[in-house]
Amino acid sequence: MKLYDYILSPSCYKVRLMAAIAGVKLDLRPVDFHPGREHKTDPILALNPAGTIPILVDGALILTESSAMLTYLAALAAPGWLGDATPADRAQVEQWLAFSPRLTASCGGARLHDMLLMPGDIGALRASATRALRELEAALSARRRRGHSFLVGAIPTIADIACFPYVALAPDGGIDLGPYPSIRLWMRAIRGLPGFIEMPGIHRLHEASAEPAPEIGGTAG
Amino acid sequence: MTTTWTAAALSQDVPAGTAAPGRLGDRDLAIWRSASGKIAAWADRCPHRGMRLSHGFVRGEALSCIYHGWRYGQTGQCIKIPAHPGLEPPDAIRVPAFAVAEASGVIWVADGAPATAPPAFEGFTGFRSLQVDAPASVVAEALGGKGDAIRAALGPTPAVALIQPLGPDRSGLHLLAPLSAAPEALDALSVAAEDLRRRAEAGQKGRAA
Repeated sequence: MKLYDYILSPSCYKVRLMAAIAGVKLDLRPVDFHPGREHKTDPILALNPAGTIPILVDGALILTESSAMLTYLAALAAPGWLGDATPADRAQVEQWLAFSPRLTASCGGARLHDMLLMPGDIGALRASATRALRELEAALSARRRRGHSFLVGAIPTIADIACFPYVALAPDGGIDLGPYPSIRLWMRAIRGLPGFIEMPGIHRLHEASAEPAPEIGGTAG
Repeated sequence: MTTTWTAAALSQDVPAGTAAPGRLGDRDLAIWRSASGKIAAWADRCPHRGMRLSHGFVRGEALSCIYHGWRYGQTGQCIKIPAHPGLEPPDAIRVPAFAVAEASGVIWVADGAPATAPPAFEGFTGFRSLQVDAPASVVAEALGGKGDAIRAALGPTPAVALIQPLGPDRSGLHLLAPLSAAPEALDALSVAAEDLRRRAEAGQKGRAA
């Protein structure tokens, strides 16, 4: 299974993260998104006329939407992550998958503006991000009240993976996550999941692993 | 100098083994709780390279900076520099610590030593913190009260609202509800608080225009 990938793309990271958690090995094909704009070149456009990444290719199957890729990876190798135990759960997973592009457009748009100097109305992007983050915070605080750490049901699902990266990297777009305590604890729960992998700007829980032993033969003493 | 207590966060939002950002006046705080449950509020700046300690991680009873792992004990004293494992860190490497106390599920902080304990609201506990893009006075007015601790009428469930000034056009709103309140009652309070925030922010925009 081949992923057309860019290391700094939160959308590509969603797919890498889900694959790592599900234990699916991906053949990564780096795309020079910046500065090369390779995603707008003919060979990539031939695969995905929309000119976006990620692109996931598995035999004859070509997927160009990250939420569909999460569904595919979970259905293949980690069906519990589909979160479809009840009709309501299934609908709520769909709800968050459909919500996630708002985070991409707002938090992600602000990030592209600030990091890669892409055009955009930064005030409007941040205001839109604030609205989306407030909705997410309210929903997660209601989940915590019921003893749950994740968006849907009792266990993590593709809904969490779909929403997590653009939220975690919102500070790259000048958006402070300080006002969102439930989001902070939710991100912490995701970062502590078995199989979790990092991307630049999103680190694992250092405290979850043992303290490194002192270097033998180092300068100690 | 602030020698009164400021509501800075809710106890439920800083569980054992975690660190969170906070504010006291115009200063950034790292509020963190050790594995055994001890709460602390420090300047949010590692003395080494200035990294925010609220990005750091807690192991046992110490907070470590995420950047180079400098480790600080309960008093703010640096106790370990991983790149120099044999070095006993000098006393001068210390993070400024603020007074901190918990009551009714609220984390109160102060610069200096307040003469009294922070206020307790018998039978109530903190359940939600929100940030409002409006000054404290506008939030108080929207709540129908005055001052920084208001018995709020936000529907059938009684609530206490603690307002934390965060500069000229921003406030923290820490909400307390009865300990006995069911999740559904808290959901309704939460919705009412968001409604109040919309009104306060709309009023603020109207004023600014």
